[in-house]
Amino acid sequence: QCATKRKQKKTCAWEQPLLQAVLIADSFNRRFFPISKDQPRALLPLGNVAMIDYTLEFLTSTGVQETFVFCCWMSNKIKEHLLKSKWCRPTSPNTVHIITSDLYRSLGDVLRDVDAKALVRSDFVLVYGDVVSNIDISQALQEHRHRRKIEKNISVMTMIFKESSPGHKSRCEEDDIIVAMDSKSQRVLHYQKTQGLKRLHFPMNIFHSGSDEFEIRYDLLDCHISICSPQVAELFTDNFDYQTRNDFVRGILVNEEILGNQIHMHVTKDGYGARVSNLLMYDAVSSDLVRRWVYPLTPEANFTDQKGQSCTHSRHNVYRGSGVSLGHGSQMEENLLIGCDTSIGANCHISNSVIGYNCTIGDNVILDRAYIWNNVHIASNVVISQSVVCDKAEVKEGVKLNKQCVLAYNVVIGPNISLPEGTVVSMHHPEEEEEDDDEFLSDDGEVGQSQDKTKQKAFNPAEVGAEGRGYIWKASSLDDTEEEELSQCLWGLVLNPDPDSDSEASEPDGSSFSSDPCAAVFSCAVFQIEVLGTLQRGLEENIGCDNLVLEINSLKYAYNINMKEVLQILTRVVLDFPFQQQGPQLTTPQYAALLLPLLKKWAGVFKNYVKRAQDHMDCLSAFEEYFLEQESHWGAMFKILMTMYQLEIVEEEIILRWFSQGATTDKGRQLRNNQGVRMRRQGGGEGNTEGKGSYLKSFI
Amino acid sequence: MPGADKETDLSERIEAFLSDLKRGGSGTGPLRGSAETARETTALLRRVTAQARWSSAGDLMEIIRKEGRRMTAAQPSETTVGNMIRRVLKIIREEYARSRGSSEETDQQESLHKLLTSGGLSEENFRQHFAPLKANVIEAINELLTELEGTTDNIAMQALEHIHSNEVIMTIGRSRTVEAFLKDAARKRKFHVIVAECAPFCQGHEMATSLSKAGIETTVITDAAIFAVMSRVNKVIIGTQTVLANGGLRAVNGTHTLALAAKHHSTPLIVCAPMFKLSPQFPNEEDTFHKFVSPHEVLPFTEGEILSKVNVHCPVFDYVPPELITLFISNIGGHAPSYIYRLMSELYHPEDHEL
Repeated sequence: QCATKRKQKKTCAWEQPLLQAVLIADSFNRRFFPISKDQPRALLPLGNVAMIDYTLEFLTSTGVQETFVFCCWMSNKIKEHLLKSKWCRPTSPNTVHIITSDLYRSLGDVLRDVDAKALVRSDFVLVYGDVVSNIDISQALQEHRHRRKIEKNISVMTMIFKESSPGHKSRCEEDDIIVAMDSKSQRVLHYQKTQGLKRLHFPMNIFHSGSDEFEIRYDLLDCHISICSPQVAELFTDNFDYQTRNDFVRGILVNEEILGNQIHMHVTKDGYGARVSNLLMYDAVSSDLVRRWVYPLTPEANFTDQKGQSCTHSRHNVYRGSGVSLGHGSQMEENLLIGCDTSIGANCHISNSVIGYNCTIGDNVILDRAYIWNNVHIASNVVISQSVVCDKAEVKEGVKLNKQCVLAYNVVIGPNISLPEGTVVSMHHPEEEEEDDDEFLSDDGEVGQSQDKTKQKAFNPAEVGAEGRGYIWKASSLDDTEEEELSQCLWGLVLNPDPDSDSEASEPDGSSFSSDPCAAVFSCAVFQIEVLGTLQRGLEENIGCDNLVLEINSLKYAYNINMKEVLQILTRVVLDFPFQQQGPQLTTPQYAALLLPLLKKWAGVFKNYVKRAQDHMDCLSAFEEYFLEQESHWGAMFKILMTMYQLEIVEEEIILRWFSQGATTDKGRQLRNNQGVRMRRQGGGEGNTEGKGSYLKSFI
Repeated sequence: MPGADKETDLSERIEAFLSDLKRGGSGTGPLRGSAETARETTALLRRVTAQARWSSAGDLMEIIRKEGRRMTAAQPSETTVGNMIRRVLKIIREEYARSRGSSEETDQQESLHKLLTSGGLSEENFRQHFAPLKANVIEAINELLTELEGTTDNIAMQALEHIHSNEVIMTIGRSRTVEAFLKDAARKRKFHVIVAECAPFCQGHEMATSLSKAGIETTVITDAAIFAVMSRVNKVIIGTQTVLANGGLRAVNGTHTLALAAKHHSTPLIVCAPMFKLSPQFPNEEDTFHKFVSPHEVLPFTEGEILSKVNVHCPVFDYVPPELITLFISNIGGHAPSYIYRLMSELYHPEDHEL
C-alpha cells in the first residue's frame, strides 16, 4: 500500500515539471589554497555555516525539488557533511543526490556526465557550491519557459544578474563583467570579463541583429546562477573543449548563427546573490550576511536546523550564540557574530567580525574585520585586522596580524611577532605543492604521506615566532607564473589598469569584408555556384543530408555569408535545380515531377537551417522571389509549396502569415491571388492536415 | 504500514510549514496575513492530534509542545503561531478535565490561595486514558477554526458603532482587519480616511488604493506629516501585529509616532485586533521582540560605494505602550487595555505561557 502511494506521488511529480538543480561543490581552481588543502571550499564556514548550506537553502526555497551535488576534491568530506545535514532527511522537500568522481576536472566534465547519465529531464538550475543568495528565481524561470515555448529550443540558458553599481564592495575587480543585451528580448549579445581593461571591443555583428534597442551594462554582478535547458548538457558533450561556463557562453554567442542558440538574462533588483570566488568576496559576503542583506538567511534564523547553533540578534547587528561569555570592559561594537561557547576576555574591542564555536580570546584583544573559525585560541594583547584564522589555529601573546593575513588550519603564531600584510601561513610546505602538481589534486593517501615530510622541515622562527608552527607561503618564492598568480589570488587579483592593453575580445570579425557591397554580391554569387556544385555532387554520390550541411556550413565561412543569405540561396538553388540539370525547356508538369523527389531528399538540409519563425519567412520570401522570375511555371508552385509543407520544411502558420502579408509589387500580388484566396479559405476553415491534403489534391 | 506512512506525511507537512514560516514575511516567501497563519497553525495541530501516536492527554500535550517550540523558534516574531498552540493546549486541558468529570468552573476560578496550595493539575494527572478524548479534542479544535474564520467579520460588524458620518479617520500601513472595518462602515456612512504611507515598505499605498476602490474618500500622507495632520483627525484606527500581555502593542513601524501624536491632540486611538493576536509575551524580551529585515528598502543595494561606509538598519516593528491606547476592538467586543490581563487568563492556561 505504501509503495503504491509513493508511486502515485511520483507520477504526480512527473506531470508537472520537477524542478531540478545541478550543484557543483567544487571550484576546479585553487583560489583558496592553502586553506582548501584541508577542507573543500564548499564546506568553509561563512557566518559559521558551511557555504554549501546556503546554496542548498537557496535552491530549496526557490522551489527546487531534486538536486544533484557533484563533488570531486575531498568528496567524502562533503558527502559526510551532507548526510548529516537536514537536506538528507526523509522529510526534506528537496531530494539531494550526491555524485562523486575524481575524474571531474571542470564544469564541462560535470555537465558531460549529466548528459551521459541523462539526469536532467527538463530545465534545471546550475549553481556552484559557494553561491549565497536569496533571489526568488521563479519569475526568471517562468520567462525562460515561456521563451522556450514560443521559439522551440532556441534559448538555452538564462543567466541571473544582480544590479550593483561600480564601486560596490561586493564587486571584486577580477569578476567585473560587461554585458551587451537586447533590451526588448533580454537576449545576451555579448558577455565579457573586463579584467581591468580600459578599452573594450565589441563585435560589430551584435548591432546588426535586427533589434533597435541595445543596452551595454557595466552595473551587473554575475550571481553565477543560471537556468539551463537540457540542451546545455548536450552542447557540452558536443563541444568537448568547453571547460567553464565562460567557454560555453562565448561559444554560444560566437556561433549563434550556426547553432541558432541564444542566451538570455534576468536582472534582479531586490534579491541578493553573490559567489564567494576569493577571500575578498568572502569578506564582502560575510559582512553583507551579518548586515542582513541576505534576509531571511540571517545568522539567527538557524536555517540549517543544527542543534546548539542558534544565536540571538540584538542591536547594532550583534549576534550571540548560547554560552558566550564576555569579560569585563569588553565591547562588542557592531556587525559581529559570535558562535556558541566562545569566551572573550577583558577589555577587548571587537567589530565587524565573525567568531566561530569554542574559541577562547584573551584580554586586550582588538579584532576588526577578522574571520575567526572554530576552536581557535587567541592569547592576550593580539591585534587582528581583515584576516582569516582557520580552525584550531593558535595566536600567541602580542601577535599583530596586519591586513589580509591568512592562518590556515592548525597553525601556531607568536609570541610577539607582527606578520606583514598579505602573509599566508600553512602547515603544508609550499614546496610539497610542486611535487604533486601533476596530480592536480592529491588524494588523501598522499596528504598523509606529505604530512610526514613536513615534520622533517624546520619552522622558521623569524617568520612565525619562537613557538610558531607553519610555513609562509610567499608569492615571490614560486617562479612559475601560474603559481604566482594563484597565491596572489587568495584575496582577489589586484589588477593594474593598463591604458594600452587591448581586450582579447573577438575582433569585429568580417565586418571589413561585408562592408564592401561589391565584394558581398560577388561572394554570394560564388557561394551559389558552390552550393549548386555541392548539391549536384551530393546527388551523384548519394551523400547524406548531414554531410551536405557540413559542406554548406564550411562554404558559409569561406565566403562569409550570413544565415539569411544561406537560406535564400539554398532555396533558390534547389528550386532551380531541375533547370540546371535538364535545361530551360522543361514544361511545368515535368519540372514539378523532377523537383518533388529532390525536395524529399533534401528535406533534412532545409530542416537544419529553418528553425525560427523568421527562417520560415526567409525561406518563403526566397521562394516567392524565385517564382516571380519564373512566371511560366506558376502552375507547379502550389504543388511545391504543399510538398514543402508536408515535409515540414515550412509551417502552416507561417505560410498563412506569408499570404496575409501584403505583397510589395503588383506581380507579387498576382502571384498570391493565383492561389492565395483558396488556400486561405481552407487554412482558416480547418486546421486538420488530412482535410487540407485532400483539399489540395482536389484542387490540383 | 499505513501508520508509518501517515507519520512521514505528517512530519513532511510540519517541515513544509516550518520552512514557510522561516521564509515568510520577507518578500521572498509567500506573504500572508496573520489570520491565515493562525488558521494554518490550527489546522496543522488538528492534523497532529488526529495522526500522531498518543494514548493520553499528557502525551498529546507533550507532542504539541515539542512541535510548538520548533514552530515558534522558526519565526519568533510571528506570535500568532505560539498563541494558537496555547489555545490548543488549553482545549486539551479542558477536554481532559471534562472527561474526568471535574467541573470546568473550579478549574477556571483562580484565587491566590488556590495557586499557592494546589499547583493546578500537574502533568502526572493527564496520564489517564479516555477513548473519546481524541474525537472531543478534534471537535473543539474545529470550533476554534470556525471562530477564526469569522473573526474579521465579527470585528467589521462593530464598525458602525465607532465610525460616524463625516468623521476624519487616520490609519497607518495596511491591516486587513482595519481595511474590512472601514469598508463595512462605508456601506452606511460617509467619512474621510487619511492613510500614513508607512515607509519604507509603503503598505499604506496599497491600503489607500483598496479603500478608494471601495468608494471611500482617501488621502495618503507621508509618515513625517502625521503630527501636522493629526489636529484634523477625529479618530485613529489601527491594526497591530501582536497585543502584548501588558496591553501594549507590537505594531508596524511608525505606530508609536502616530500614538504619541494622537495622545498630544487627545484623539482616541482604537486598535482592531482579533483575539488570536493576544500574546502572553511581555515587551522586555529583547531577542524575540524585534525583527530586522534586509536594508534594501532603506538604501538600495545598487547605491554602491556608500554601502561599505554606513550601517543601514531596517526594523519592522514598533512598541506602543498601553497608556497611549484608548480601546481594543476584538471579535468578542471592545476592551480597555487594562482588561487585557483578564482576557489572557481566559484564553490561555498559565502553565502554557512558557511552551
